[in-house]
Amino acid sequence: MSTILTYVAIQNGSPSRASLEVLSHARQLAQAGSGVCAAVVLAPGASGVANELARYGAQKVFAVNHPAFSRHLNTPVVAGLEAAIAQARPSLLVFPSSEGVKDVLGALAVRTGAAVLPDVASFVVKDGGVEALRPVMAAKFMARTRAEGDLVLVSVRSGSYEASEAPTETTVEEVAFSMDESTLRQTLREIVGSTAGAVDLVDAQVVVAAGRGVKDEVGKQLVEELASVLGAAIGSSRAVVESGMFAATAQIGQTGKVVSPDLYIGVGISGAIQHVAGMSNSRTIVAINTNPDAPIFDVATYGIVGDLYKVLPILIEEIKKKAVVVA
Amino acid sequence: MKFCVCIKQVPDVTAPIQIRDGALSMDAGRVVLNAYDASAVEEALILTDGTDGEVDVVLIGPEKATETIRKALAMGAGRGTHLVIPEGTELDSGAVSHILSRNFEGHTYDVILTGKQAQDTDAGLVGGMLAERLGLPYATNAVGLAIEGDQLVVTRQGDTGQEIIALPTPCLVTCSNDMNNPRIPNLKGVMGAKKKPVDSTPLAEIPRSTIRVLSYEPLPSRAPGRFIEGEPAEQVAELVGLLELS
Repeated sequence: MSTILTYVAIQNGSPSRASLEVLSHARQLAQAGSGVCAAVVLAPGASGVANELARYGAQKVFAVNHPAFSRHLNTPVVAGLEAAIAQARPSLLVFPSSEGVKDVLGALAVRTGAAVLPDVASFVVKDGGVEALRPVMAAKFMARTRAEGDLVLVSVRSGSYEASEAPTETTVEEVAFSMDESTLRQTLREIVGSTAGAVDLVDAQVVVAAGRGVKDEVGKQLVEELASVLGAAIGSSRAVVESGMFAATAQIGQTGKVVSPDLYIGVGISGAIQHVAGMSNSRTIVAINTNPDAPIFDVATYGIVGDLYKVLPILIEEIKKKAVVVA
Repeated sequence: MKFCVCIKQVPDVTAPIQIRDGALSMDAGRVVLNAYDASAVEEALILTDGTDGEVDVVLIGPEKATETIRKALAMGAGRGTHLVIPEGTELDSGAVSHILSRNFEGHTYDVILTGKQAQDTDAGLVGGMLAERLGLPYATNAVGLAIEGDQLVVTRQGDTGQEIIALPTPCLVTCSNDMNNPRIPNLKGVMGAKKKPVDSTPLAEIPRSTIRVLSYEPLPSRAPGRFIEGEPAEQVAELVGLLELS
């Protein structure tokens, strides 16, 4: 019986939403193919999240407990996954796509002789292989791509699938893992501009994203206030990251983060295709822009042609009055 | 330090591209140096400027891709290697990394750079694959590089912040286009590039690719939305109402 293994990323002590989305899809694939749905967690105290993963249908949890995984470094992650694969013997290993996963996918594929489909928008098991749709050409097109092999690795863009619960009994299997510091050959000196602990952009239910229309500190404060009253994470286009107004961790797009909140509000964002590639999975998209021809309006659920400096103060006050906005 | 940058010729993604019978049709045929690779070349040139360091480039591609090597040489790279494949040969990331790893046998580069992904496939796998095949420590998605003695200090954009990682040399790093603004070659650079050595070798053996593109398709479209008209106060009132309902 084949095993479909899902890599579960831990964020602030819990499985990330993107991981649960992928796990939910993997469970459905496992059920359809009479396979086993399993999860692998690389973290100090990895087995602690087994009960939560069981709620989403993980019948087995492979726990690689080690302090080396408290911060991201590619060498231990590749080695930890190699050990988990040797023990779980999956036919398919599915990842939520993230910078951490992108950092290890190629090396892991070579190490384990696996075929690999990175950053897919959807995938199915078909005729003994895996077929996926991947955005290509700077997200202008989808490529229907097929991989075959005894082991296929797939990383999935966040928001591609819904997280859904399907509680099951689970067993935890510890994966023996040791890391010799001297073989690490890389040193993580520090993490700067860390957003750990804040509302994570990729996992956020509401995102307020700023673009070139946000011209100054006043505009930035309006964006921050709107995000604050909505309990939203702040995202941005590449332009305002390059200008230094927003942190690089806020960048949404083909080369940044992929977000899929219930509500995305684009403020002064024109909607270049590279940005849209990172937010078009959002459930409701609101766009506020002075230019009625801005491409963001092509994907928007609701469009407001208007000046953010006039619209945002009123919107902030209205939301404060309502206290709760249900997206 | 001695750098080698792996570069790729890609279709210009800003040029008009259509889908015809599931295949991409690029009538204009405009090809460019992959933007992420251009940033890698630029960074190598910055780091070796005023030193006795060297910057070489290596490219896998058909005959006509020589022009992309010349572009990198015009920026300032010293020497090019062209691994020639027949026009239209499709290689997946595994095959590309395999060919490159063979090419690096017998070379003594301190640092191998690549772009973090190619603009056409957006796969981003070759760097990590090549590092694994060569047994090199590596880092991906670099937004900054600095030389410290015989170490390379990489600032990489991670999920929750910028991770600063020290790597011993030899090592491999994949570069983000947020790293720098690649220089536009001047006339002197373009003329000089014509005299620089390019070692062109047809590939005798092309490794098998396990990943196949079956067809290209347009992006799924979203349900059409609508504009909210009126003065800002009216627009906001209507929007808040709609969001409460949905």
